[in-house]
Amino acid sequence: MGNAIYKRIHGFLYAFFGASRWRKIWLFFALIGPGIITSNVDNDAGGITTYSLAGAEYGLSLLWTLIPITGVLILIQEMCARMGVVSGKGLSDLIRERFGARITFYLMIALFLTNLGNTISEFAGIAASMEIFGVSKYLSVPVSAAFVWWLVVKGNYKSVEKVFLFACVIYFSYIISGFMGKPDWNAVGSSFLKPVFRMDAGFLAMVVALVGTTIAPWMQFYLQSSVVDKGLKADDYPFTRMDVIFGSVMVNVIAFFIILLCAMTLFKNGIRIESAVDAAQALAPLAGEYAALLFAFGLLNASLFAASILPISTAYTICEAFGWESSLDRKFLQAPQFYSLYTLMIFLGAGIILIPDMPLIGIMFYSQVINGALLPIILVFMLLLVNDRRIMGKYVNGPIMNVVSWLTVVILTLLSLAMIFFSLTGL
Amino acid sequence: MLYAVQIPETSDIMANTIPDYQNSQLFIFFSELLEEKIFDPDGNSVGKLLDLIVNIEGTYPHVTGVLLRLKNSRRIILLSSRDFSFTDGHFVARFTRGDFPAEKELVPSELMLKEALLDKQVVDIDGAKIRRVNDLQFLIANNDLYLVHVDVGFHGLLRRVGLKPLFGFILRALFDYEMSDQLVSWKFVQMISSPDLLRLTIAQNRLAQLHPADLADIIEDLDIHQRTAVFNALDVETAAETLEETDPKVQVSLIEGLSPEDASEIIEEMSLSEAADLLGDLSPEKVEGILNEMEKDAADDMKELLAHPEEMAGGLMTTAYSSFPPTCTAQEALKTIRDDADDLDLIYYSYVVDDQEHVLGVVSLRELLAAKPEALLAGIMDTRVVFVNIEEKKGRIADDFFKYGLLAIPVVDDDECLKGIILFKNLLEVIAAKLGR
Repeated sequence: MGNAIYKRIHGFLYAFFGASRWRKIWLFFALIGPGIITSNVDNDAGGITTYSLAGAEYGLSLLWTLIPITGVLILIQEMCARMGVVSGKGLSDLIRERFGARITFYLMIALFLTNLGNTISEFAGIAASMEIFGVSKYLSVPVSAAFVWWLVVKGNYKSVEKVFLFACVIYFSYIISGFMGKPDWNAVGSSFLKPVFRMDAGFLAMVVALVGTTIAPWMQFYLQSSVVDKGLKADDYPFTRMDVIFGSVMVNVIAFFIILLCAMTLFKNGIRIESAVDAAQALAPLAGEYAALLFAFGLLNASLFAASILPISTAYTICEAFGWESSLDRKFLQAPQFYSLYTLMIFLGAGIILIPDMPLIGIMFYSQVINGALLPIILVFMLLLVNDRRIMGKYVNGPIMNVVSWLTVVILTLLSLAMIFFSLTGL
Repeated sequence: MLYAVQIPETSDIMANTIPDYQNSQLFIFFSELLEEKIFDPDGNSVGKLLDLIVNIEGTYPHVTGVLLRLKNSRRIILLSSRDFSFTDGHFVARFTRGDFPAEKELVPSELMLKEALLDKQVVDIDGAKIRRVNDLQFLIANNDLYLVHVDVGFHGLLRRVGLKPLFGFILRALFDYEMSDQLVSWKFVQMISSPDLLRLTIAQNRLAQLHPADLADIIEDLDIHQRTAVFNALDVETAAETLEETDPKVQVSLIEGLSPEDASEIIEEMSLSEAADLLGDLSPEKVEGILNEMEKDAADDMKELLAHPEEMAGGLMTTAYSSFPPTCTAQEALKTIRDDADDLDLIYYSYVVDDQEHVLGVVSLRELLAAKPEALLAGIMDTRVVFVNIEEKKGRIADDFFKYGLLAIPVVDDDECLKGIILFKNLLEVIAAKLGR
């Protein structure tokens, strides 16, 4: 069926663009997805909170950091995508085969805890944004948990991916609300041309948080698996790279507009916020009711989107590492570990939010800390794998790429250590 | 899952080794040997065991070599297992430190276990599943080790991680549950990493024991490299049967990887309609290459089928059916069917047509067999033939199958001339959906 539609579109495009050009355009649309989806899941509840805080507390002065962050994101994701395309295997599969059972076992436990922490913060984001619309969390969280479970277990992955790609479009609500804040483009320009760097703890912690929220451990596993799932081949690689670059740029464009909006409104008026929801509420009198609602809607979409991806990605990753059946095509009894892990993540992620007096800010905080601690380890594994000729053949990193990527890993490690330090000492 | 003790076939090993069993264990796990220090007869450590080499010829691979990292040096050497004795669950060097025997050379039928098997994926032929190797189990016989089981269970994983005692204690204390090993006999294990697969001879290739439908599921679950390796290791007939059961997207990637000669050989073995569907998904250049390699008749049939859209009767049908004039006798018809059976997609129905190919009736194989040999088909045929137009849609055809309970439905053009038949099996997907599956 799908094929017939494909052929019809094929013929249509053929008539309009001629053979080679349409083929390229069509290929691009057939092969995109993994990079864009990964990047957009990255702009989750935690990400939006961090960007809002950065804008509200430091105005436009942190905008320039988005440029190096984009570069690093592209660098790391490109390696992941390349590994997926060349080896045809997921990251946890490669780690298991190369580094053995013991390392993999502990790594998977750490990844499970990290991703559980992230899932909790996504459900917290859902709860908070729905409260802006006047819906109690005791209604919104169970309903969204059931929706997420249903979407992935009962829907097929193809249609789910389409829903997700559509959800990416909703992120444009942030761009619209960004313009509603009536930005001062001269000030924006000068913040990029004359980057400010301050050595106080708060400023540093914010930079670290921005990097940490954009480059997370789970992304590498998810991106590589989805590239493998798409069955992409080495010939398709240029398109995959475009997909990754496009996605990475898009994340940071969204981040740019969130920071911009909060800087133009909250920072200017000296309003202090603690969460993305505070930001949405504070926006109403400054940028208008619609900007605030769009902001809240964006947060809801982002949280729901990430809450759908994180549990399934975790279950896939762990089952892949341990050789358990992992497919939504199987029935529960054929893949018990897979469904148990998936269901457990959603159950705990949503359940913990509903416990009264749960220190949610604390949970999000520590999940960020574990994220930060896990990231360097995974990046080191990645670099060892991407340079292994038995796996990558001629597609290993070149010497310049290696210098740049090892340097990036060192810097990210230092930043992660700094983040852990800041988090634990409460700065 | 097989838990039964599997003993190497060579019965003389058994005969010679019965005394050995009395004071020592029968089996040992690879994880118990890895990284273990190895001593010489004087009790001096000579180095650490890094890997074992087995010869994969024979039912159970025999350990033939030991990879050793020398003590106090980073040198790694490969020695023959004859330089060691195996006593009380440990390798003991027959040489002393500083007096190493000559290094062993690997022969083509030998492989390193840790490198090639441990933590890798294998196919469990018995369960028709892909499993990950958590541990390996050897049988100890007459100072020799034989690889007999592959451990694919969680228990084995915990043993590797070193948490078995802890988990065992917790499960016993809380749930009164004893964990058990999940072992698969080596006889039912097929390695799938590509360099190893290529080395296997046909006799060692156990994949052909699997049902093509299971094989297709396994192939879909493998990564692109393993997929190609496994597929290329199949004989043409199994490959064709497997391909018929495989998801169209995977089919395309498998065929795109083959040369036109190999591809056409496999496609000719497939049923016509399945083959036409597959060709319809390939790039036009590839299709042309494959058709050029095929025999002319088969290629012409294929071209005819390719001309019809896939979701209509013309695209679903096959032209490999049998038809006879009404004046043909049952005996003649049976003989023709017997002679052509290999090339026909369906032998149960034969269609009776006039010289313009108009369908007059249908006879089943049962009716042909039951009829007198000299009876004319005109006399035995059933004239109430259900047929569909070449442009009929999938869903309507499925309704007909559902209503009339047929194995095949003939397809006619606008002049009511017979063009092909649609097999029940080719519409299974549409019909299954109607069953509310």
